[in-house]
Amino acid sequence: MVLEVKNVNYAYKSQKGKEILKNVSMQFEEKKFYTIVGASGAGKTTFLSLLAGLDMPVKGTILYDGEDIQAKGLNYHRKHHVSLVFQNYNLIDYLTTEENVRLGGTKTPQDLLEKVNIPCEDWKRNVLQLSGGQQQRVAIARALASNAKVLLADEPTGNLDETTAGEIIELLKRTAHELGKCVIVVTHSKYLAAQADEIIMIKDGCIESVTELSD
Amino acid sequence: MNSFQMAWRSVIRKPVKSVLLFFVVLIISLFFLSGMASRNASIATQNKTKQAVGAGFLMEANEENKRDRADEILAKKTDGEEGNFDGVTVKKIKTEYGTSWQVSYDNSFQTLLIGDMEKIAAVSGISEYNLTTAVTAVNPVDFSRIEDDDVDQSSDLLCVSLIGNKDMALDANVLSGNVTIKDGRMITEEDANVCVISEELAEKNSLSVGNRIQFNDRRDVENSTVFAAEIVGIYTVQQKMTPVMAGDTFRSENIIFTDLGFPEKAEGSTSGALYEKAYFKVADVNQYDEIKKEIQKVDIGWERYDLIDNNGNIDKMSKNFNDLERVSEILVIVVAGASLIILFLVFVFWMKGRVQEIGILLALGTPKIKIFGQILLEAFLIATIAIFLSFMAAPAASKITASYLVQQQARQADEQSVIDEGKVAKSAEDSEETVTGVSVTVTPELMLYDWFGVALLVVISVGAAGILIARKNPKDIFSEIS
Repeated sequence: MVLEVKNVNYAYKSQKGKEILKNVSMQFEEKKFYTIVGASGAGKTTFLSLLAGLDMPVKGTILYDGEDIQAKGLNYHRKHHVSLVFQNYNLIDYLTTEENVRLGGTKTPQDLLEKVNIPCEDWKRNVLQLSGGQQQRVAIARALASNAKVLLADEPTGNLDETTAGEIIELLKRTAHELGKCVIVVTHSKYLAAQADEIIMIKDGCIESVTELSD
Repeated sequence: MNSFQMAWRSVIRKPVKSVLLFFVVLIISLFFLSGMASRNASIATQNKTKQAVGAGFLMEANEENKRDRADEILAKKTDGEEGNFDGVTVKKIKTEYGTSWQVSYDNSFQTLLIGDMEKIAAVSGISEYNLTTAVTAVNPVDFSRIEDDDVDQSSDLLCVSLIGNKDMALDANVLSGNVTIKDGRMITEEDANVCVISEELAEKNSLSVGNRIQFNDRRDVENSTVFAAEIVGIYTVQQKMTPVMAGDTFRSENIIFTDLGFPEKAEGSTSGALYEKAYFKVADVNQYDEIKKEIQKVDIGWERYDLIDNNGNIDKMSKNFNDLERVSEILVIVVAGASLIILFLVFVFWMKGRVQEIGILLALGTPKIKIFGQILLEAFLIATIAIFLSFMAAPAASKITASYLVQQQARQADEQSVIDEGKVAKSAEDSEETVTGVSVTVTPELMLYDWFGVALLVVISVGAAGILIARKNPKDIFSEIS
């Protein structure tokens, strides 16, 4: 078990204690592809943010390899334990494709760009000149560039057409099964959710069900 | 990639924000340099001007003190009697309305005391000193004065004016550059019974150096003793000396410079000479202020005197240039304040435009301090280029600024002069005309100050703008992006 969530509660300070997550507990393992599904406002993205160390739970703990992620600091957790992929790609607009991947921590971004099928003529181009699908692949390459065992993705196919979305899903699956990472994806897409090893259903801030899917 | 590589790429590849900051910093830096250079230029000009007119101090009798002393004497010594009481003359005058008392002072009462002046002259740092008599009206015996044919002379004294000097070269009219010798020489301390006349008077009477002219007491032109003075020089003026009183007696052309002792003889004074001004020349202008302090320590009856910087003109000139210094300082302060606000707004604009980038870097585990370090580095890269460019443009910009400020000061001085017209008796035109320009130098020291000043403003502005972002956690930033 690489990541464990224990009795986590979360509430926005600005919303007078209204709980977004209520006593959530969950364990995540390497080499597995998880999807988190649920209605809008159920708390999926907040859950992912806490896993990513973008915010702290009000109560409860999140453990990485058995250690509280706050022990070494959330910055450390974000830099070394997890990597993130967003719906809107979140690439740095003044850097090239290669340079964006290099931000993830690798000195040889070319291998990763090949892995995610970015043609070499695009490596030196400004990243904003690439198509949406290519940009998302670059974002995944950047996430893979770090040695983090956990890859977190928030609606990674939300802005993509079906074909491209399918390619991205395949890439994420390969990342989990071939590269041995723990991939956790928040999605509204039933198709994407169905590709996971486990589907976590969140409803009203609680985990309603965890469904394990067999091949 | 390290922060420098990121910063460099951001500066080069996002030219709009870089160019905006570049021009803002360039203008700020130029204003700073211009303000500081103008401030220094003003001081330099002030000192240079002191030297040019002969740095020194002028001593005059304090008019209020004269009245106080006279009142004291009259209260103690008179008892409804006429007479001269310690230099204060009281005379009963009968008019059709009754009897009134006329009070006048003789020379012994009004004069500067030579003993006091010599004590001041002995102060270390005073190289020379001069005494000047009051303008003395005497009767011209064997020559004609210059008159305005269109003016009725019946109310005039029909005299010429004598100004006696211990050393004519230190007379205020000469020091200001207004009076220069056209022929012959000036009067020195060793001279007796000599004079220097105007070129107009010489021409009218066909007089030249070596001739003698005669004077006597205007109050008894028939019987008083006639005194002759040898003409040792003929002077010319740049601008006519302003008369101390109305009438052709005191007109510029009728002023005759003499040795120190001559006026009292020619006017038939029975109460000695009337020394009206003393001028003390400072040997080293750089010690001007220290010498002033030493002079003020001299043990004399200071209540009798007014100590004036240089010839009075300089005092005014210094004031103008002190104003310039003050204006320059205000310019620097205003620029600093305005720059801080402008830079803060520029960086807020920067930060707002880079929220996504900041969020991405935070998501990648980059500490906030490193992100602000990168932004600061970008600001420094741009600012450094702008500052260096401003160093090159600064000499021209500073000159323009300083000239503008000087023009403003000169205009202000002119306006003040017009306002003061008629209030102040002047023996010569102001010597402000000698200041024709301002020398402005942008020194390496100023550049260093400028660099530190602008760098400090950039750090403060980035810090202040960064607080807006630093207070947010990464999740809030991503919510904002979404």
